[in-house]
Amino acid sequence: MNQTELLDQFILEARDCLEQAGQRLLEVEKNPDDKERLNDLFRMVHTLKGNCGLFEFKALETVVHAGEDLLDRVRNGTLGYNDVIADALLEAMDFTAQMVDEIEKTGQIAVEAAPRSQALSSRLRALLEPGATVSTPRAPVSAPAAPLPEAATASPLPSPEPVPPWVDALPPDWRSSPSTAVAWRYSPEPECFFKGEDPWLLARQVPGLLHLKSGTQAPWADLSTLDCYRCNLAFAGISSAPVAYLHEHFRYVPEQVEFFELSNLPDKAAATSMQATVGSPANAAMSSAEVADTATASPDERAQAVRELIFLRTLQIWEDQLIILGRPSPQPGVIQACRLAFKNLLHTLQELELPVSLQAQSSLAAINSVGALVSWAQTHRPSLDHPVASADTVSAAGGGPLTPDNSRRGGGGADDGAGHNKVLKVGQEKIDRLMDLIGEMVVAKNALPYLAQRAESVFQQRELAREIKAQYAVINRIAEDMQHAIMQVRMMPVGTVFQRFGRLVRDISKKLGKDVQLVVEGEDTEADKNVIEALADPLIHILRNSLDHGIELPEVRRAAGKPEQGTIKVVAHQESDRVFIEISDDGAGVNPTRVRDKAVERGLIPADKAATLSDAEAVQLIFLPGFSTAESISDLSGRGVGMDVVRTAVERINGHVDLQSTQGKGTRIRLSLPLSMAVTNVMIIEAGNRRFGVPMDLIVETVRVHADDIHHFKQARTTVLRGRIVPLRALHDLLALDESPLTNEDGEHAVLVVRLGSENVGLLVDHFHGATDIILKPLEGVLSGLTGFAGTALMGDGGVLMILNPKELV
Amino acid sequence: MSRILVVDDAATVRMYHRKILGDAGWQTEEAINGLEALEKVHNQPADQPFDLFVVDINMPKMDGYAFVRELRRYTAAHQAPVMMVSTEAQRQDTFAAWEAGANCYLVKPARPQELVLAASLLLGDAQAAVKAAEGVKQ
Repeated sequence: MNQTELLDQFILEARDCLEQAGQRLLEVEKNPDDKERLNDLFRMVHTLKGNCGLFEFKALETVVHAGEDLLDRVRNGTLGYNDVIADALLEAMDFTAQMVDEIEKTGQIAVEAAPRSQALSSRLRALLEPGATVSTPRAPVSAPAAPLPEAATASPLPSPEPVPPWVDALPPDWRSSPSTAVAWRYSPEPECFFKGEDPWLLARQVPGLLHLKSGTQAPWADLSTLDCYRCNLAFAGISSAPVAYLHEHFRYVPEQVEFFELSNLPDKAAATSMQATVGSPANAAMSSAEVADTATASPDERAQAVRELIFLRTLQIWEDQLIILGRPSPQPGVIQACRLAFKNLLHTLQELELPVSLQAQSSLAAINSVGALVSWAQTHRPSLDHPVASADTVSAAGGGPLTPDNSRRGGGGADDGAGHNKVLKVGQEKIDRLMDLIGEMVVAKNALPYLAQRAESVFQQRELAREIKAQYAVINRIAEDMQHAIMQVRMMPVGTVFQRFGRLVRDISKKLGKDVQLVVEGEDTEADKNVIEALADPLIHILRNSLDHGIELPEVRRAAGKPEQGTIKVVAHQESDRVFIEISDDGAGVNPTRVRDKAVERGLIPADKAATLSDAEAVQLIFLPGFSTAESISDLSGRGVGMDVVRTAVERINGHVDLQSTQGKGTRIRLSLPLSMAVTNVMIIEAGNRRFGVPMDLIVETVRVHADDIHHFKQARTTVLRGRIVPLRALHDLLALDESPLTNEDGEHAVLVVRLGSENVGLLVDHFHGATDIILKPLEGVLSGLTGFAGTALMGDGGVLMILNPKELV
Repeated sequence: MSRILVVDDAATVRMYHRKILGDAGWQTEEAINGLEALEKVHNQPADQPFDLFVVDINMPKMDGYAFVRELRRYTAAHQAPVMMVSTEAQRQDTFAAWEAGANCYLVKPARPQELVLAASLLLGDAQAAVKAAEGVKQ
């Protein structure tokens, strides 16, 4: 830019302003009530200040800014115009004229001007104090600037705002937030609940939230005097959003909120003093750190930083549009202008291949109402979670092996140009979305039987009920087909995991001096992508165990009369809705005696109990946490994180592990896995008039046991089922319900037998109800600490069903 | 080429903004207050309307808020985004700018590259955005 040209213009306009301001000043002195003149005067000074800001004329700007603030106060009537003010302003103008002369000569302002500039601006600012005008104008510099809060934010005085105590009380690690961040404290008024406010929601939805904590305003009152309808909560947090956004967010409760910009912290102030922007949406996010850290970055990093910056600014402008559209009754043209702004923002994102949703552009054109535009903008708000536009497009897949890392389902069978076997690459999140939707559909359709029941029982509409049921059957069939079809899309052959085994077995057996042959069968068996991905690690662990502990050294095998080459077989197959994977070896098998000894030695079970275990039971001890039988700790397995890790991983995806071992013959491990994890089949049971769900795959059987057949030993209850002793626990006791288990007319208890690891336990309940498909939602927030529950599910009648986790419960 | 109308009563600021925006490759025109700006909008050639307004707040005759409100009252006329640029760094000005319907609010003196970046995003000019963002990151 041609700097001299601009500087000439500045000097020209500054002189013009000064001249006119001088005239106005004299006129105003004669006629202090002339609003028109005062406004003119203010504007002259304002223009001058604005112009100074374009250059690095700090000394000049400080003085002019102080003069502007003073005039602003006079203009809006909070300060009476008098001689003292006029004197100070005239002196400031003289100084300004000198400075402009100096700028004309040297192009800059000498540092020597700084003290005089300070003194002048202090004098002007001292006059801002009401009543200060009657006393001597030479007031101390440190006089607090303003009686009005907005003047305080505008004050360019170098002394920063004092740090309020509540900011000091924030957790120390919050201070590491960016210096552009804003700390806020929100103390809802006690009566807020009656006004329909939701303080927690409001605090949670603060834009740009980095940290949030809740506390109390006053210590909790004694329980007997506590009024739970009065709000005693207080929230504090750090937000990266510009302070203007926060004011906007809290606009209905401004008096209950305090803000503090972190840039005013003593340790941060230095870093940001060059950036004295206050409350500006676009500028506030621009910290000096953001700007500075790229000096040494590589070109790639630079390019990335540039894209990030563009994305960030786009998002800020996007939010601006939403705010504008959210104002009451916007002008008709606002919609058009915002729509154009959105269109242009999207255009830039697409050009730069930044994340943007594809439908956004096409659906924008047709929008004509504020509401539609707002919901459009909220739906299509740019997010880094969106796939990048270019990767989203349809393309013919170019063969290549499909690995679990490859998140898209592409076909190995798609050859270029073959035409008949085209493969569509689709982002995984789209499939997940479909999966979520069909999940909701499955639940929603379950409302129809309730509806039919109501039609019949409440409205006596038997015919209608029948028709609803018939329609339900149709929808049910379609939903199930749809669910099946979508699940098919997510299916991957287990072979994708098996692929790496060949190399693994070869490398490890070589290292151990063993000769091992790997046989893989059924690699085409398919299961849900998530199941497959969760499977990789446990399977590798099992294989390593087999190689390390199972297969013997060649000479040992020869001595035992076995072929020198050991064999490990991995077989997968599907049975109804489960996938089974069997890993068997013809090695030494697990030695039950040694397992017993180890378990006792490690204090996992008492010695007397170990002695009573059968060999088959003793072998199961290797699933206990912290068990390892390796004589020497090799780097392959036997670090004490043995089979319990495998079991945990498999059970996390609702699978089971089953181990059988014959000493000298080998070991067989069988994993039973669900085909999919999206929909859970649960059985509904009732205890103490409450209904609970129990995952179907844990249930062994439901039986009726007569009260006389229950044996009591001290606290414990057992019964004998099919010749085996099954411990019984009342669900009422486990959940601390007040009621005790009911019996039916025949004096029989309802017992739900569930499988816990390799043991069966009977749960006493009141009634059994049917089985149903649910979408299991994990417990969140405060509830996530609850043990004993796997989650919740929304039922067709709108109720919430708690799903038990018997493993944690018993 | 995108056309931008710079509205400011200070000649220095007008020159400054026109220089920056012109260097970024856009065609600029100027108006010294809201009223003159409205006249220019009214008389703009139909095939070459303004694509963006860069508007000061405090101006004689008609200030920035009034200008945006007046501008947005038309539905038939071409509606371009408005970027408000003002020294009023206080929040009530941001609110007032939003209230009036300004699409973006920048505090003066805006760093030239930030001004160009915001303008290029509102104009949908990706090349200019990249260039400006590189400038910010320098």
